[in-house]
Amino acid sequence: MNIKHVVSILAIGLVITSCENDDNSPVLPSGDYVDGILISNEGPFSNGTGTVSFISNDLETVESAIYNQVNTEDLGNIVQSIGFTDDKAFIVANNSNTIAVVDRFTFKKEAVISTGLNNPRYFISVNGKGYVTNWGDSADETDDYVAIINLTTNVVEGTIPVDFGPEEIINRANTIYVAHQGGFGQNNKISVIDSGTNEVSTTITVGDVPKAIQLDGSNTLWVLSAGKPSFTGEETAGSLSKINTTTNEVETTFDFTTTEHPNHLGYDGTNLYYTLDGAVYSMSASATELPTAKAFDGVGTYAMTVEDGRLYTTDAKDFASDGSLSIYDINTKAEIKTIAVGIIPGGIYFN
Amino acid sequence: MKNVIYYLFTLLAMNSVFGQRDSVIVLQEVVLSDSKLQQFSDGIKVRVLDDTELQRNKGMLTNNLQFNTPIYFKENGYGMVSSASFRGTSAQQTAVVWNGININSQLTGQTDFNTIMAQNLNEITVRSGGGSTQYGTGAIGGSIHVNQNLLFDQPLVNQLQFGYGSFDTSSLFYNAGWGTEKSSINIGIGHLSSSNDYKYLDTNRRNENGAFANQNVDIAFGTLLSAANLLKFYHNTFIGDRDFSGTLTAPSNDNYQDLNTRSLLEWTHFKTNKVQRVKAAYLTERYRYYANKERDEFSFGKSGSVLLNYDYLYRHKNWKFNGVVEANNVNAAGSSIRDEDRNRLAGILLISHTPSDAFSYGIDVRKDWVSDFESPFVFSMDMKYNITETYTVYLNASKNYRIPTFNDLYWEGAGSAGNLELLPETSLQTEIGQTIKTKDYSLSLNAFYIATSDLIQWRPDISGNWSPINIKDVTQYGLEFETDIRKEIGEHYLTWKNSYAFTKAIDNESTKQLIYVPFHKVTSNLAYSYKKWSSFIQGLYNGEVFTTTDNNQNLQDYFVLNAGLNYSFPKKWGIAIETQIAINNILNENYQNVAFRPMPNRNIHLNLNFKF
Repeated sequence: MNIKHVVSILAIGLVITSCENDDNSPVLPSGDYVDGILISNEGPFSNGTGTVSFISNDLETVESAIYNQVNTEDLGNIVQSIGFTDDKAFIVANNSNTIAVVDRFTFKKEAVISTGLNNPRYFISVNGKGYVTNWGDSADETDDYVAIINLTTNVVEGTIPVDFGPEEIINRANTIYVAHQGGFGQNNKISVIDSGTNEVSTTITVGDVPKAIQLDGSNTLWVLSAGKPSFTGEETAGSLSKINTTTNEVETTFDFTTTEHPNHLGYDGTNLYYTLDGAVYSMSASATELPTAKAFDGVGTYAMTVEDGRLYTTDAKDFASDGSLSIYDINTKAEIKTIAVGIIPGGIYFN
Repeated sequence: MKNVIYYLFTLLAMNSVFGQRDSVIVLQEVVLSDSKLQQFSDGIKVRVLDDTELQRNKGMLTNNLQFNTPIYFKENGYGMVSSASFRGTSAQQTAVVWNGININSQLTGQTDFNTIMAQNLNEITVRSGGGSTQYGTGAIGGSIHVNQNLLFDQPLVNQLQFGYGSFDTSSLFYNAGWGTEKSSINIGIGHLSSSNDYKYLDTNRRNENGAFANQNVDIAFGTLLSAANLLKFYHNTFIGDRDFSGTLTAPSNDNYQDLNTRSLLEWTHFKTNKVQRVKAAYLTERYRYYANKERDEFSFGKSGSVLLNYDYLYRHKNWKFNGVVEANNVNAAGSSIRDEDRNRLAGILLISHTPSDAFSYGIDVRKDWVSDFESPFVFSMDMKYNITETYTVYLNASKNYRIPTFNDLYWEGAGSAGNLELLPETSLQTEIGQTIKTKDYSLSLNAFYIATSDLIQWRPDISGNWSPINIKDVTQYGLEFETDIRKEIGEHYLTWKNSYAFTKAIDNESTKQLIYVPFHKVTSNLAYSYKKWSSFIQGLYNGEVFTTTDNNQNLQDYFVLNAGLNYSFPKKWGIAIETQIAINNILNENYQNVAFRPMPNRNIHLNLNFKF
């Protein structure tokens, strides 16, 4: 095991996925990759390229490495996530410090953003601009920022300095929420950014290591924190925080036990879903305590999300071969299908 | 550089058998610290890379072995971290042995073959197959023996080599050896540096951030305290400073610095029928890894190993008995490695019996007692039978092991942790070999089978934390065919050495080929000399390798061709000057031995060698 491998262990161990869904295009799109599921596959860590897999909505057609197929070039090393506008997809390659901008339905390359990014993580479009969380140098806790991208020129036109380790990013009514998981370390903040001024308006303290965020239909921001892991020597419990987006204050916090470190957060309009120790739990957004019963057990949990009554999870297997996507019916708990995707499937999106 | 006659001479010397023994012969034997290589490896395939062969490839040990042996090397770009796959085994399953001492890293369990400089050594020995009874952990695929030689009774010889070539590669090697009847000293200094910014073929990009500078010092000293007492001291220091190059898909600004030292003091007391050795060795390794070389932060790891060894060899008629007791303390620490000590005590017994001139066999047993895990009892059996004067059959079987490293046991880092419950990897293996050897040629054919259990691999647990576990059982088997042809007509000397290896390395559960193990590898070296001129041409064919465990992705096969031409000027004022021009990758093959890390395009190197 060389040092790169060690670094890869550090990095892979901390990667999470976005469960964001931005599927409300007014015009009927056209292209090979309409009406289907996109999976971002990180690819091997130390050398190689990530890929995007496409699966048609009827789960019958599966295409791998679609960006490479359409554009005959590689996406880059560690494809961390994909963000969307109505008609474009922004594919974030973390280790390559690039974002490939493609037509979201044909996957034809329109641009590659390669300057102004440093350890980019997640993309969101708000108010006609793109916003990308960046760790900066992972050893520096003071150079982290959100890059602002001009969506016409595909150029980074500004930065918003933020607290260290910005990860998932979400938008509610032109207010941007950034979860500070803490990069290779640990943080416990949510930054609130006003997209009108592009400044951090307030910072909310949540549980340690906020890994996933979701908005529900009732003005609430849900933040799932994993807690500090045991190797830090100061292990803390995971927690689920309910934040009122009008006041930007934490209303309720549900605590896990100290050795429980949940991950991923899905929301299907009624229930929240998270993973813990290889199982998926579901709780009502109006529940007053955490569930004790597992909704699904023994499933892959490298990525997880819910959509239209279905649970989607991925399995990264041995991290050196193709992973898989499994789809379950939430009501019957039956497995609908398991489909081979790319190496280390970390993101599930709906086109 | 020595000529072919010298080469033939050393080859014969290596094969010296003991019949009539006198103290001079005994002295020759005890001068070599790695005595097991000669004394207890009868039924084992042993291949010596001599000085002439080593001088063809001026880089680090990776280069020498890659073009002359069936071993596959994974290099993270030229000059970067290089690990071996010997007979389809893992990087930790090849032991590197320096003057008889296993020097694989205590932290990673492997040796980076781009941190070993062979230019000042007279020979490198490749011992194929299991050797844990003699060399301990990691000797599963085989072992590479880096030995410093002491020559008594020779005048002072200085050798100074300058090299310069493509990618701003420069080298300087100086070696001085001098011996009286009583004492001998040899000092070697080596420097190799390169901007290493070779072009990535078929792209408009270069190998960025790949510069390296390596320094190396070798010292060997021996003195006869009396007719029966020999005191020896060996030392090696390697200092490496490398930027770690990027890949086709990601830039890099990493830097990595190594500092490895090895010191060995050995006292030998010998008579015609018994040899006693007491050895004390101290080995250190330390690295610093800068994830961003523009910044001050780095991660580090270090280890120190103290070794005491008592070795008693006794001969009785046609029997040899060798008992060894070894005590070892290792301390390791690092930014993500808990500061821990390991104590180890080993007992080894080697027996060799030669009932007739044509037949010999050996039995070895070994047991280690280690403070932090249970080490298995291992054994080996080997035999050699000369069926005719030219035809020999070899057979061996052994049990071997690879111990968990300090990283495996004591790692403490973000999202990952060592595992104190680990067992050593163990292998059961067997091999049959046959050689035909005449004055003009030799042929050898070996078939091997290795079954390894409890392979250690890092995997995430159910909550996503990475930890090493004994997860896999694998099977390797294959064939190695080697030929060595020598021809001499008047002043024309020709040697042609070839190797072909077929290797299957199968994950028992998935039945897939292990990643980075080629099914086929061929090396060929043709050397020709006439009077003051000599030349060589060497080729390497590497078959396809898989890069993912499901065998869905692969690296294409490749063929690399190198050639060189030497001219020796007539000796003047006591100085012999030789020039060499070498062209590597003449065909400009675009190849990778690790995915997304292209290797150099065609490159040229000039070398000037002064001997005085």
